[in-house]
Amino acid sequence: MSDAIDCREARDRLQDYLKEELTPERAREMAAHLERCRHCFSQAKFEESFLLMLRIKSQRTCCPNALKERILAALRAEREPG
Amino acid sequence: MAEPTTAERQFDAEALPHLDALYRVGLRLTGDPSQAEDLVQDTMLKAYRSWRQYRPGTNAKGWLLTILRNTFINDYRRRKLEPIATDLEAIEPHAIYRNIEEADPEGAFFSQIVDEKVLEAVDALPAEFREVLVLSDMEGMSYAEIAEALHIPVGTVKSRLFRGRRLLQAKLYEYAVETGIIPARKGAR
Repeated sequence: MSDAIDCREARDRLQDYLKEELTPERAREMAAHLERCRHCFSQAKFEESFLLMLRIKSQRTCCPNALKERILAALRAEREPG
Repeated sequence: MAEPTTAERQFDAEALPHLDALYRVGLRLTGDPSQAEDLVQDTMLKAYRSWRQYRPGTNAKGWLLTILRNTFINDYRRRKLEPIATDLEAIEPHAIYRNIEEADPEGAFFSQIVDEKVLEAVDALPAEFREVLVLSDMEGMSYAEIAEALHIPVGTVKSRLFRGRRLLQAKLYEYAVETGIIPARKGAR
């Protein structure tokens, strides 16, 4: 079976593929291309490392407890009758 | 104290779990922890007051982030006016992948950069790129959700995300070369 898409098309689809926004059919074509093309495969890995890093680094920040308490207090005040 | 009503319980269950995400996005939008705190609190109160407009079961996180972003634009951005890039579409960042595909083809250097530097680089992006990148790549929102929150077409979301990522990668690459995380290319200026 030959590739349904070439490297150029694969580059165009890469962003949507990694965001899981391709149709199943187009995603399958992309996955098949990545299995066959080392160059596109490593470019995809490169983008994945970047995205994973961003996700990990951003998720380390949490809402400070003092702010949570302030918000809960403000909501309680909002709910007080009258 | 009175027992919470059903609506109040629903609000607590659906909205409160997103405080971390709201705070993170607030930080990236304002660039200032105390403004981010005020922004999140204002957002939660607004959300609570208009809770009846929220359809249960729809995307609470997307709805809250939309309120946060609108509040930011209306009440906060004025304080520190950000220059709006006039010709965003003209920004064609260079793909750094070409520079590095031999030395580090799988981008291992990204994870060696300290958190603070990464967040600084995100904060330095043009606002229009930054908000799309934060919602997509830090908070995991889909193209459609981002388009709705920012009132822009999906195509614009995609192209801003593409450019924002490239700009950020270029910045991080530059930093990694400067600090010796990756060796400078032979023959590179």
